[in-house]
This record gives sequence, structure tokens and C-alpha cells, in this order.
Amino acid sequence: MSMNKLYEKLFYEALRIRLVEEKIIEIYPTDKIQSPVHLSIGQEAVAVGICNNLLPTDLLYSSYRSHAYYIAKGADLDKMFAELYGKEAGCGKGKAGSMHLAEKSVGFMGSSAIVASTISHAVGSALASKRLNKGQVSVATFGDGASEEGSYHESLSFAAAFRLPVIFVCENNGLAIHSKIEQRHTYVVHEHAKAYGVKSVYIEEGYDFMKINKVMAGVVEYVRETGLPYVVEVKTYRYKEHVGIGDDHNVPYRSVDEFNEWKNADPLIQDKESIAKFSAKINDEIARAVKFAEESPFPADSELLADIY
Amino acid sequence: MVTISEKVITYKEALLRSMDDALANFPGVVIMGQGVDDHKGTFGSTINLAGKYGKDRVFDIPLSEEGNAGVAIGAALNGLYPIQTHIRNDFSLLASNQLINIAAKYKYMYGGHFEVPFLTRMIIGRSWGQGAQHSQSLQSLFAHIPGLVVIMPSSADAVLESYHHAVANYRGPVISIEHRLLYDFTFKSTYEYGATAQHDPFSSRIVRSGKDITVVATSIMVIEAQRIADYLAKEFAIGCEIIDLHSVSHYDKDMILRSVRKTGKLLVADTSWQAYGVSAEISRVVCESDPSMLKAPVISLGMQPSPCPTSKHLEDLFYPDDLSFTEKIIELVKGKNHGLQLPGRSLNEVYKKFKGPF
Repeated sequence: MSMNKLYEKLFYEALRIRLVEEKIIEIYPTDKIQSPVHLSIGQEAVAVGICNNLLPTDLLYSSYRSHAYYIAKGADLDKMFAELYGKEAGCGKGKAGSMHLAEKSVGFMGSSAIVASTISHAVGSALASKRLNKGQVSVATFGDGASEEGSYHESLSFAAAFRLPVIFVCENNGLAIHSKIEQRHTYVVHEHAKAYGVKSVYIEEGYDFMKINKVMAGVVEYVRETGLPYVVEVKTYRYKEHVGIGDDHNVPYRSVDEFNEWKNADPLIQDKESIAKFSAKINDEIARAVKFAEESPFPADSELLADIY
Repeated sequence: MVTISEKVITYKEALLRSMDDALANFPGVVIMGQGVDDHKGTFGSTINLAGKYGKDRVFDIPLSEEGNAGVAIGAALNGLYPIQTHIRNDFSLLASNQLINIAAKYKYMYGGHFEVPFLTRMIIGRSWGQGAQHSQSLQSLFAHIPGLVVIMPSSADAVLESYHHAVANYRGPVISIEHRLLYDFTFKSTYEYGATAQHDPFSSRIVRSGKDITVVATSIMVIEAQRIADYLAKEFAIGCEIIDLHSVSHYDKDMILRSVRKTGKLLVADTSWQAYGVSAEISRVVCESDPSMLKAPVISLGMQPSPCPTSKHLEDLFYPDDLSFTEKIIELVKGKNHGLQLPGRSLNEVYKKFKGPF
């Protein structure tokens, strides 16, 4: 694939995620989506750069901020909007909402509202692929706050000791809700991983899907070939408030200046030519998904007690 | 005519056999837990299995209970059947985030598209100074959560049929709480591998029929109840009907109600505290169904409402002893002023005989 074609492919995917979330912002005040949304706006490039290097059989485990991964891993937009609307046709039959998106058919194995809780699932998933010779790569994605949970360290240690093909992707947006990373911990995620004997890489340009894609291509190849774990830390930026659709640069926990710096570097804002080229097609697809969600029925009453055991 | 051979085996031997059968018949089974591959093999219940099936199927794990439980979930999602062990029930609390927040909800929360089949074995300690953090019996805590199957096998056959059922037929998380003091008890066993069970392996069973009182018991309290029932039948012609609850999460409500309707008397004997526990739950279903079937108030037996003390003197006060168990049954059947003469010493010496340390 030529560089230009690759750029367009990744741009298209990233823009698709952004426009989906902008549509969510548009719909949200109507209360048709009654589910806490943790938007990925500003962080799309990470999901796109990673997932472009994964096979459908590779398994990815994410957090409550997972719209981007759901889409980038190839899951269906109709099912996503239906899920946000609490409809039966949703990927989780309306029981998941925004925080628990999952789609088994594309290897998007789950997203959890408990910080760091899915990291160990990727490790177990890798344990199974190794024992059963499946040749898969398993991926955990999480934020810098999650790296403070004991479970992150337990997972890293387990993966290193058992030599498992798993990639730990830390999206470092420097924030845990409103608390800054400097207030919370003293280690550097990609440096600290080395203490476990796990290789790591740091990408500073979290808006640059081309760069993330290139680095991830090498990481995925390494993990698939050696069967060993890897830590990838990507510096990124959350444009929106922790949960909800609002901007929160008017309150003094972060500065408008740093926001503007990211926006100035963000291809999804700066590359107006590509935005113009692809927006109409993507918006059509999104409009169809929203219509599908609107017209789908709510789950039957019997669904309340179905699928518990 | 099928001849059922009857053997006598210990609880520990049943556990070992169930683990061996699972490894032999299901290639996806792995056993992961502290010391499962060492020379003691989880009190004998996993001994020599690493040698027989390989270190990649029976292996020790880091001291990372939450992480390990998550690893088991991820492994289950991707084709393995993990069997995890906690050598004390208390340690499972470190894994409770994964068990309660994740495993219990994995099927439901994602719309029924995922399954996390695994078995987690947890062992209750008692006696020889186990103390506050090696003696807890946390069945009601887990059984409170929709999505978890919680069982407490009280016999060798209960182990064999339940664990086979878990591995062979059930596609969700199963928590089994084993009592350490049962490990060396011997049981008659008629279990044949793969034979269809005569009852739901994850539900309750009547282990003794009687007309005077219904005793609903869990785990080792089933054994105590049986010994006491033998004594009461012989000495005073009192007929105890004993229901082994077996499944704390999916007990047979109708079985209990039928029995209480027949006897009019109910005693619940659990290995844990009474408040918000098995006793409270069984009393709830009777009260909600038809309290008029009770001819006397319900009596429950459990641990005293304190953490478990270490001193033998206090520990003896902490657990209900078999004399008070016996006394309570007679009281329910014959009334408080029954005038019957009870022996002055314990009917069994098992708790005194147990020589730890673990």
C-alpha cells in the first residue's frame, strides 16, 4: 500500500470514530442515549494505529473509554448505536451500554468500567493462545491511571514470567478523571516495564496514526514471532471531560494552551482536505446506524432475567 | 441389572480423582494455584498431577490473586477451562473484584455472547489456631451475586459429581468451598465416572429422611447433623430429615418447603455467621412462602458474631459444638422442658484431633 493510500485508510478510520462520537454529542441532549459516555475524541489515532496491525482473530480487551477500539477493531456501527440506545439489536442486547461494548466476531472481547480490570484478561487470553497454539496476539488497552492498580503490575509480572504474547497499550492522557499524573505516581510506564524484563516503546505523538501504525507493526510482529510481551505507551490527549459530552477547559485543572497545542497537531482538525473528502460518506453511514437504532425495539421483558447463568 | 460398586474413599482422594479425571478427559483443563505442583499438592488434592500431565497444565502461579483470577477469565474466554485454588477461603477476597465485578457478569453484561467457564476451589480452615484470617466461610457473600454458582460439597461423591458436571457441562464460573477438616474424612462412594447423576449436581439433596424436624445444613455441618441424627434416632427415637444444601446459590427451595411442611420444625446449621447468611436466606424463603407451616420458631446455628479467635479456649466457644446442636434439635422437637439426659462430652473429637498446622 502506498504511503498516500495508507494515510487515507487510517485517516478515514480515525475520522469515522470522531464523527461517530460527534454524533453522540449531538444526540445526547435528547436523552435517547441514557448511558454514561467516556468519549475517545483526541485519542482516536491510538486505536486506529494499533488495530490496523491486528488480525480479526487477535483479541483485544479494553476499558470504559472504548468506542474507538470497538470501531477500529471492525465491529458494526448499527449494533453500536443500537446498544447506546438500549435496544435489543445492540451488541450487548441493550444490557451493555457505552461502557461495556464488545463484539466477539471481530475479537473485541470486552470493556469494563472497573479501572484496570481487563488487563489480566488479555494475559489469560495469551496464556490460552500459547497453550492451544492459536498464534494470536492479545492486547490490553488502558489509561495511565490504570497503571496504578495492583492488577496492572500483577498482569505484567505474570506475562513476563510465563512468556506470553500480549501487548499492553497504555494511553497516557495524563489524567485520571481530574487528577494529573504528576500527583499520582512517580514512575514512567515504559521505563518501569523494563523492571519486569518486558520490552517497551514510547510514542509521544499520540495524534499521529501513521507513526503509531508503523511502531505497532513492529511490535505486533515481534510479539507474534517471539511470543513475548510488550508494553507500548502513547502520549495522548483527552479533548472532552472524563465522562459526558462537555468541554472542561473552563475549569482550572488543565490549560487551554495545551489543548490548543494538540489541536494544532491533530490531522482530524488540520487536514481539511481529507475531512472534506470523506465526511459525507461517513456521515451517511452514521445516519443509517442512528436510524437503525431509533427504529429497533427495546429488549423484551424476558431479557431482564436471561443470560445470567 | 447394573452392579454399583461401593468404595470407601476420603474427601481428599475424591478431590484428587476429580482433578485427575478433568485433566485426563478435557484437554483444555489447566490447574493453576499456589503450590498445586509442589510436594504437598494442595493438601493432597493435586498431588503428582504436574508430573502426570505436565507443568504447562498444572502450575504454580504468582501471589497475585486478582491478577490470577483475571488470567483465568481471559484463558476461559479463549478456550481453556481453568481450575484455580485458594488454599484458604479468606485469600479469595483478593480475587473478588474479578469474581464479582467481572466473571459473574460476563455473560449478562455483554448480552449473552461470552462465556467464562472455570472452577475456583476455596478451602475453609478450622481449628488448631487458624485464627481470624484463615477460617472464614464466605459462601453467602459470593452466593449473593447473580451469575455465580456457589457449591459446598459435603461428601466424596458430591465432589466427584459436581466437579465433573462443572467441567463437562456447565459454561460459567463455579465457586466451590471445601472444608479443610473434611479432607481426611472417609465416605462411601458409588460414583461412576460419566454416569448420569440422580439429581442436579448443582442443587440440594436429602441425605436422611425423617418426620420430626428438618435440618438444613452446609458442608461439614451436614456430617455433624448426620452423626447427631444417628444418636437421636437411637437414643430418643427422634427422626431428623437432613437436607444437604450443597448449592448455596441454587438450592432446592421446593425440597426445603416440602420438608418443613411435613415436619413443621426447621433448624439451619451453617459453617458461617448467621447474619445475612444461609440461615437468614433459608428462613426468608420459608417466611415468604408460608410461615404457618412452622410449629415453632426457626433455630439457626453458626459461628459467634466475632472474628475467629486463636486461643483454643475461645475457639471452642466461637463454633457451635455438637452438644448444643443436639440440644437445639431436641428443644425444637420436644420443647424446652424435654427432661432428656444428654451425654456430658462431645460426640465427636474431630476438631480436637486435628493437628495442624494448616
